[in-house]
Parts: sequence; structure tokens; C-alpha cells
Amino acid sequence: MALSTEAATPKSSPSNPLSRMWRDARIRAIILQVLTLVGVIAFFGWLVMNTAYNLSQRNMSAGFGFLDVSAGFGIGFTLVEYQEGDSYLRVFYVGILNTLLVAVVAIFLATVLGLIVGLARLSDNWLIGKIARCYVELLRNTPLLLQIIAWYFGVFNLLPRPKQSIELAEGFVLNNRGFYLPAPVPEAGFNIVLITFAAAVIFAIGLYRWASVRLDKTGKAFPAISTGIAVIICAPLAVHLALGAPLGWDIPVLKGFNFTGGTSVPPSFCALIVALSAYTSCFIAEIVRAGIQSVSKGQLEAAGALNLPPNWTLRRVVMPQALRVIIPPLISQYLNVTKNSSLAIAIGFPDLVSVWMNTSLNQSGRAIPIVAMTMAFYCLVSLSVSLVMNYYNKRALLKER
Amino acid sequence: MSDTLIFSPKPDRPAPAESVGLIGWLRGNLFKDVPNALMTILGAYIAFVVLSWVLNWAIFNAVWEAESRRECLDTVGRSGACWPGVGVWFENMIYGLYPKDKVWRINLGFAVLIAWMIPLWMPKVQSKVAIGLSAVLIYPFLASYFFLGGDKSILWTALISMSLTGFGWVWATALSETFVGKSIGEVIVDKAGARNADERRQRLIKRGAAFVIFLVAVLLVNEWALEEVRTRFWGGLFLTLVISGIGITFSLPAGILLALGRRSDMPVISMLCTAFIELFRSVPLITILFMFNTMLPLFMPQGVEVDQLLRAIVAVCLFAAAYMAEVIRGGLQAIPKGQFEAAASLGLGYWQTTTQIVLPQALKIMIPTIVGNFIGLFKDTTLVSIIGLFDLMNMARAVGEDTTWLGLFIEPFFAVTMIYFVFCFAMSSYSMRLERKLATGRDR
Repeated sequence: MALSTEAATPKSSPSNPLSRMWRDARIRAIILQVLTLVGVIAFFGWLVMNTAYNLSQRNMSAGFGFLDVSAGFGIGFTLVEYQEGDSYLRVFYVGILNTLLVAVVAIFLATVLGLIVGLARLSDNWLIGKIARCYVELLRNTPLLLQIIAWYFGVFNLLPRPKQSIELAEGFVLNNRGFYLPAPVPEAGFNIVLITFAAAVIFAIGLYRWASVRLDKTGKAFPAISTGIAVIICAPLAVHLALGAPLGWDIPVLKGFNFTGGTSVPPSFCALIVALSAYTSCFIAEIVRAGIQSVSKGQLEAAGALNLPPNWTLRRVVMPQALRVIIPPLISQYLNVTKNSSLAIAIGFPDLVSVWMNTSLNQSGRAIPIVAMTMAFYCLVSLSVSLVMNYYNKRALLKER
Repeated sequence: MSDTLIFSPKPDRPAPAESVGLIGWLRGNLFKDVPNALMTILGAYIAFVVLSWVLNWAIFNAVWEAESRRECLDTVGRSGACWPGVGVWFENMIYGLYPKDKVWRINLGFAVLIAWMIPLWMPKVQSKVAIGLSAVLIYPFLASYFFLGGDKSILWTALISMSLTGFGWVWATALSETFVGKSIGEVIVDKAGARNADERRQRLIKRGAAFVIFLVAVLLVNEWALEEVRTRFWGGLFLTLVISGIGITFSLPAGILLALGRRSDMPVISMLCTAFIELFRSVPLITILFMFNTMLPLFMPQGVEVDQLLRAIVAVCLFAAAYMAEVIRGGLQAIPKGQFEAAASLGLGYWQTTTQIVLPQALKIMIPTIVGNFIGLFKDTTLVSIIGLFDLMNMARAVGEDTTWLGLFIEPFFAVTMIYFVFCFAMSSYSMRLERKLATGRDR
């Protein structure tokens, strides 16, 4: 017999009740968890006690009372009205808006650029593929912070003075004070144009819904996308022209030593946007490439066997399947852009981390509330994004048999 | 009977000239149709402009000998690079402000690391896992004494001696396995003439030998005194490698534990791990660095001073561990349920299943992502410059603030970019090779 006598007599019959409890998986789990919890609470208690002692030693307080106090420093670039005398809470608000502005602009540019580079990498033209590959490898293998600083000190700070500005187009001026562009000035009646635009968008969405329902039911196609785009562009334009173009442009002009009028962004903003969108675009390019390559060849062959026209194959076979692979990592790249925008501090662009976690913290000395508020903001952003992601993942889940 | 017809094939006609050779390749890959040809021409033009501009600036128009930036500007203006500034600062960019007469300690430290890892690439060596683990777990003691120096307590002496013994063991093993084909322990047993002795006696002999070597190492280390170099003199590439090295070594085991914790059945442990991971992943590294920089001194009891470098390292380690945990969790999720069930049916417990069945598979499929994370961590160490440490990037920035080389930014950044690129590209190429090598059993 191969059965040993040892296996027949159970080893685990200890007389000690403690070690018998330890052998029960459920009880052991409870003991372990209680121990962990006690350890963690003790650790945090120790930290809190140390912190309280240190704060009292340094005459610092951990309250939020300072938020109403006047901050007393200026901010170079703001989206809303801000003066030196405004409160710390206002500084927080200004910082959040600046961070979000950088994130939105960089996300838009990175997506466009990334899509182009990703498609270029898939191109059957050898040279284009190689150039795209070099672009991707070079940018993603060097630190983002280095790129931001290089763009700032190496390019945007070395631009000519306002008198010798580079004029890209009428009203778009680049110099070492920043980038100047025309600002729209709505006049009476422009609201009607906006309302027409909104109506056209709603109409286009309705048209698309109707067209896809009809396609599913009857198989008759309707060019909903091109019609919709035409309506969205043409209707507001027609109203705009009919009302006599009620939108003026405030164009920046050189007065004395600098440009006035229009809107402008500082060089640090330009450097941040260029570096962030170039850096992120190579990650997006790889995501797009992987997504399109993930669609199996059989799908394309099946579409060919059904004699689908090429653009239908792309729109109805390849894209829906590729998007399922592309969108989750794409969203996490968007989140990364938002987090990476905090590197603005290295070149002095006043984003949340720069004005709040650096300047305000150093001025007020309220380390704990300031750190907590900053982290709460970033946590909130990523939490809301992950909620959206979960919703998408649930919808996009493959419905298998 | 008529003559038998024998089928004799005519020789193949050669493929048309326009579909083979250079011309065929050109037609197939560059000039397939008109839009394709236009793209090729445009691409070639862009590549030419960029390359010629970079080469002209970096090589042909560059100034190689000058005393100051003014001299460079007087010679070529901005059309050529001014390399002498980078040359003067190069040593600082590599070693920081480490005392010049003690730089050999850094070199020796990294040389030992390389020597420690060489057996990993020797084909006949069997104990590669043990050697790799020893490099990660034991080497750091020796390295930190090389880099930091200063007074040694008894414990510190013992750890350094252990590290030295480990280094001796690694090479003894590598040599004996390569030339004799046996592990070093067996060789020692043979030499002691105890080949036929029982297992216990053999083990005793091996341990005794190790202990004797350890004692010799203790005597050596005790005699050996290196002057202390405070961490605020650390900088340049050296600092970058130290921070990222510690981050990488810490993040992998910590990430594995966190990932296992998050998937654990025990709600308290899973909740704690999830909270840690999500908190550290949702905020930017720079806020964590700032937090530790301002808060760690507040958290510590009265009288405990936390070095600024240590604050940065703690922040980087925790941040990297949270990211690594999510990568590992992805790998764990990819293991089919059947593997767990098969392990359970063999009677394996939790730790046996995890370490013998699940983790080897999970880590293997996640190698590219893990290395990608390492690369990301290496690049992210540049952020420590924002809290005032002089890492490689900050050193490059300091060149342009030197009065002799005032405003010299592009050249040092260019040089540093190349250094980062070489490191990251080497890592990613190696991971791709490893991935292909390990892809056994998946691609049939």
C-alpha cells in the first residue's frame, strides 16, 4: 500500500486550543484581520500624535480657517477675475481652472496628433512607418519633465521680442511674452446664432438615431453623418450671415512695447501644452495601433465575403471592435494628462499644484489642509473618470452566447 | 508502343524586374500609388530637413573648444552647439557634487553590481534565481556603504560582511558551475573528503565554510573605514540611478503583496490595500513628493531628522508600489480559474499555490508591462528636481545658471536626453527580447 500511516492519522489534533483555532481557516482570517486593523490604527494614531505635538511646537494649526484670509500674492495667468487681495479659497479655484484648462487643451491636441501618428505607424508606406516609429520611440523614452523644460527654455523663452514678433496669421502672434490670439466679441443677436447651433446639434443627433433604427429595421441606409455635419455647419452660418455677422473679433495690436487686445497665454502655457500633447500623443498612437491590430483578420475577410464596401467595413466592422480595445487605455491616458499637468510648476505656470501646494503652502504654512485639499481634487477627478469607465466597460462588454 | 512522354517542366520564368530586388521593394513599399508616392516624398523631405538641421547644429557648426558661452556665441551664434560647457560640467552631471577624490567609490559600487550580475548571462550557471535575488536583497548593503561611508555599528558591519560574503559566493558558484559542473557547496564537500558522508554532515560542512568566509569578511570590513559623504552632495546620474534602483527593487515585491492583498478574501485587508492603491494612483507623483517633503518631518517623533533624499525615496517607493500592484493584479486576473482549481485539487495551500503556480505565470505574461513601469519610474525620478534634489536633469539645468555658461540650456538638455534615451530604449528592447524568449507554450 502506498498510503502511509502518517496520512491516516490526522496530524492536526493538537491539545492546545489556541493552535486548534489557528488551524481553522475562518478563525485565522478573523484573527489576521483584527491584528492588521489594530496595527494600522496604531500606526496612524502614532502619526497623528506626533503631528499634533509637532504642530503645537511650531505654533501651526491644522484648521481650514485660513481659507477666508487674503492670500496677498498675484497670479500670472487666470481664467477668472483675481486680485492680490482675494482669499485663499479663490486661489484654489483659480488653480483648479488652470489645471483643467491645460488638461482639456492638451487632451484634444494629443488625441488628434496621436491618431495621426498611430495611423502613420500602420501605413504600408515604409518611410512613413519608420518616421512615425522614430517619433514615438524618441518622445516616450525621454522624461516628460525634461521635455517640458526643454520646450520652455529652449524654444518659447528664446522667441523674439514683441517688436520682432512672429505673425502666424492675421491676429495670431508669437513672441517671448506669449501667444496672442484674437478674442471673439459677441454683439447683439449672437445669442440667436448660438441657439441655432444648439438646435442643429440636437437635430443631427436625432437624425443619426432615426437613421440607425431605420437601418436595423429595413436595411436602408441614410447618410446621417454627412447630413448632420452639413446641418451643424450650415444652419448657424446662414443665421449668422442673415443677421449681419453679429460677432466681432478683438485683434491684438502692437502698442508701445507689447501687444494689447485679444487674449493671450504665457510662454509657460505654450511649452506645457506642446510638451504634454507631444508626449501623450505617442502613447495614444501606440494605443490606436494596438486597437486596430487587435481586430482579427477573419473579421475583415468576413466583411469582404459579404461584399461590404470598404468604408462600411471600417465603420461597422473594424471601428466598433477596435474602439472596445482603444477606449479604456485612452481614458487612462487622459487621466495621466491631467496628473502630468502638475509638472507646470517646473516652468512657473500657475496650475493647482504650483499656486496651491507650493505658493499658498509656503505662505500660510497650513500644510495639512492644503495637501488634503489638493489630493481630494485629484482623487475626485480620477474617481469620476473611473465611474464613467465602469459604465462604459459594462456597456461594451462582449455579449457572448 | 509509342515513345513514352516524359513531362519535363520548363524552367520558371524570372519574376518581372519591377517586382523583385531594389526596384520591386521601392514599388511595393514607397511608390505603390500616387498618394503613397506623395507621402514618401513629403516624409523624405521632412526627415531630410530635421536630420540636416540637427546634424548641422550638433556636429558641423558646433564649437568644441571655448572658454565661455560668450566665445561660442561670437564664433557661430546660435547656429551651432556649444559643447565645451557640457564638457566642463560633464563630471558633475554624472556624479553630482560628490567629492572628486572619492568618486572611485561610486565607480567601484556600480562595477561590483555589474560583476554581481555577469553570472546571470553565463550559459552554464544553474543558480541564476539565487544570484538574481542576492543582487537585489544583499548587494544594497555593500553599495550603501560604498556610497555613504561613515561610522559602522556592529549590525551594520555584519550586514556589509554578509554582502561581501554573498559576492564571493556568487562568483565561486558561477566559476564552479561553469568549469566543474557542480555547485560550490558540493565542491567544498568533495575537497573536505566528505562526499559519502550523510546529508547532515555535508550541510554542516557547507555552513561552516560559509561562516569562515563570513568571519574573514567581518575582519576585513572592520579594518576598512570610508569617510562619510552626506547625501546632499549626491547628484547627477548617480542620484538618478540610486533613486530609481531603490524604487524598482522595492516596488516589485511590495506591488506583489499589495496586489495579492487586494484580491484577498479578507475584507479588511482587501479594503486597506485597495484604498492605498487607489489613493496613490489617483494623485500625481509631484503632490506625493511635496506631501512627503513637508509632512514627513511633521509625522516623525521629536528629534528624528529625515534626510531630504530619504523623503524623496519613500515617496517614490510608495508611488511605484501602487502602480506595480495594478500591473500585477492584471496578470493575476489573466490566470484561468482552472489553474487555481488544479492547485487546490493537488492539496496545495494558499502560499504554495501563489508562489508555485500563479505568480510565475502572472509575472511572465506581465513582463513587458512591468518593464514599462520600470521605465516610467526611471523617467519619473526627474521629478525629485522639483523638491530641490540635484538629479541628472537638475544638473543639466544648473549648467545654464553658471556665470561662465549663462543661458546654455539646449546643449546640456540634449546630452541628458540622449542619456535617458539610451537607458530607456535599452530597457524596452531587452524586455521585448525577453518576452519573445519566454513566449514558450503560448505561441504554438
